[in-house]
Amino acid sequence: MSASTSTLLIPLHAKYVQSLGESKDDLMYHLTAHLRMNAIYWGLTALCTMNHKDALNREEMIEFVMSCWDDEAGGGFGAHPDHDAHIHSTLSAIQILIMQDALDRVDVDRVVKFILSLQQPSGVFAGDQWGEIDTRFLYCAVNALSLLGRLHELDVEKTVGYVRQCRNFDGGFGAVAGAESHAAMVFVCTATLAILDRLDEIDQEMLGWWLAERQVPSGGLNGRPEKLEDVCYSFWVLSAMAILKKVPWIDSDKLIAFILSAQDTDHGGIADRPGNQADVFHTHFGIAGLSLLGYPGLADLDPVYCMPARVIERMGLRKGWEGLPRKAS
Amino acid sequence: MTSAGMIGSELEVIRGQTRCEVASRSKRANVMKSRIPTTYVHGVKRVRYSQEALEAKRRKEQAKLKEYLILNDDLLAKAYWGKEAFDLTTRMLNMNPEFYTAWNYRRNMLIHGIFPTRTPVEVNALLTDELSLTTALLKQHPKVYVIWNHRRWCLANVPDGPSHTDLDGWRQTNWNKELYVVEKMLDADARNFHAWNYRRYILAHMPAKRSAQSELVYTTRKIEANFSNFSAWHQRSKVLISLWETGQLDPRVSKEEEFELVKNAMYTDPSDQSVWIYHRWLIGAGEEFEVIQREIASIQELLDEQPDSKWCMESLVFYKRLVLRHHVQRLTATERGSLTQECIRLLSGLQEVDPSRRQRYKDLAWHTAAQQRM
Repeated sequence: MSASTSTLLIPLHAKYVQSLGESKDDLMYHLTAHLRMNAIYWGLTALCTMNHKDALNREEMIEFVMSCWDDEAGGGFGAHPDHDAHIHSTLSAIQILIMQDALDRVDVDRVVKFILSLQQPSGVFAGDQWGEIDTRFLYCAVNALSLLGRLHELDVEKTVGYVRQCRNFDGGFGAVAGAESHAAMVFVCTATLAILDRLDEIDQEMLGWWLAERQVPSGGLNGRPEKLEDVCYSFWVLSAMAILKKVPWIDSDKLIAFILSAQDTDHGGIADRPGNQADVFHTHFGIAGLSLLGYPGLADLDPVYCMPARVIERMGLRKGWEGLPRKAS
Repeated sequence: MTSAGMIGSELEVIRGQTRCEVASRSKRANVMKSRIPTTYVHGVKRVRYSQEALEAKRRKEQAKLKEYLILNDDLLAKAYWGKEAFDLTTRMLNMNPEFYTAWNYRRNMLIHGIFPTRTPVEVNALLTDELSLTTALLKQHPKVYVIWNHRRWCLANVPDGPSHTDLDGWRQTNWNKELYVVEKMLDADARNFHAWNYRRYILAHMPAKRSAQSELVYTTRKIEANFSNFSAWHQRSKVLISLWETGQLDPRVSKEEEFELVKNAMYTDPSDQSVWIYHRWLIGAGEEFEVIQREIASIQELLDEQPDSKWCMESLVFYKRLVLRHHVQRLTATERGSLTQECIRLLSGLQEVDPSRRQRYKDLAWHTAAQQRM
């Protein structure tokens, strides 16, 4: 490992995130318009975790979010102006507005109505009116309703009932009932149960084992047995471990080294693995993982809501998770 | 494994093997420039270009960009529902199959603009075309959620027909093809969880169900091709539960066959965790004392051959603790004490062979000792 990848290059990554919006003459910028709202949430959360929140203009960001409001859909946000409302971009919009202390811009009643309208008889949520279902959308709904202070309008038993159907003998959870356990779905289901104060639904020792076994010899984490490691699992796996208070069950030094080795030391950003193309998604989830591992100089990230812990604490929503203690720099 | 596809004539898009199949949709990356405003990409190597090469490539991309922006604006104007607009969505989705709003627009056009003016024969033919479009797109983008979703939507909208006496005929024809398509997808990537989820969806919803027995045979085939394929082991566990619950297989006999299968796999590669996870499922809560004792002995035998086998040690600890928890009344105080000591000794060995998870083994040793004291 070169000297330059033995530390987190915070100013370079902040600059990288800042520069993402300045690439409008790039085709790739436009080909990913359907992820713009999520990308802004990833970028802003990464900046908050690096204590560089002001690197992006607050007013412009709020205006962008509000320009994605889909009035026809009855109360959700699309990923981009003129894109259809979807539960994923709606959650990202709410998270951004809360981080920017601008939730007063939203017609909360209509958003809540939109979200609740997507719950299916089985308890799972659809992403939009077209009916694609899975536990990611269920988490989006529960997270958003909690942030909006409207969890009491949710049919909790029905919702937990679906999560239970997705639980497997290995302790993990899949995308839909019957699906194989997958670290990303373990995160969404564990975080959902944490928000609903129903962690008793989890076989914690079994799930802790399955999660700890995601670490491979390189130090990185994979998402399923016998698969390759990837920086984004640093968050999917670690967040669930933090919620179960089992982060010490893996080798944190090796994981930190793996995440740092995936940095683009020339232009900033973090990739899925060393030597690959960086992107804002892996930049955010890599930094989120480092925060949970107590990496020095970072702010605490709440693994349940995937937002700055300070914001969640201020709202009185903090659950009993535990990352590693923040190391001195 | 990297397959290359062309978007238009000038922009090469590489789809690396994606491993992180999660909340987001875009997995494309343009490898032309050294720094690209990428949102979400997997498995694409970082390439460094000179400033001149970079500029040349950027100039070439501009024509493509212009075309894309015009197409995008036309599409989002959503001013009309006609053949021309429908073709716009086809062009857009071929360039960007993750653009969910374009799929939505297309479905709205089909439902409200096109289907009402067509005969059921024509509607069925249109949906067959839709399925062909998604097949072509899935070949290049096997992990894009919205393409799989459109496929489900097509199947759900196949009309009754071809006749009053055969209302399910078209549906049956379409659904039967699905298993073939999904098997091709799993031949290309046997761990693609989108394909496995889709497979379960098809098996559960097709008008004339396929037998669970034949699905068991399918999982055998996938496992024999690769023991590491936990997706196939997982599917096998689900299929067996349904065969046991419906009385199609005697659980006792069938479990014995499974233990035999898994034993072969363990001896083939004792470090492959798929097999051990499946074995843990077979043991379950460990209600059958004789079975769990026999399996402990068999794993001990393997450990004697391979004294550093982490998974042998890990499994022995798990099963011995299961015995301590569920069969304590069958044990004398001495046996309880020695089982506990064996667990603690194995956990200490695990700290040596698997130091990354040292803290877990320490915690388990502490709990095991604490339980004994109680």
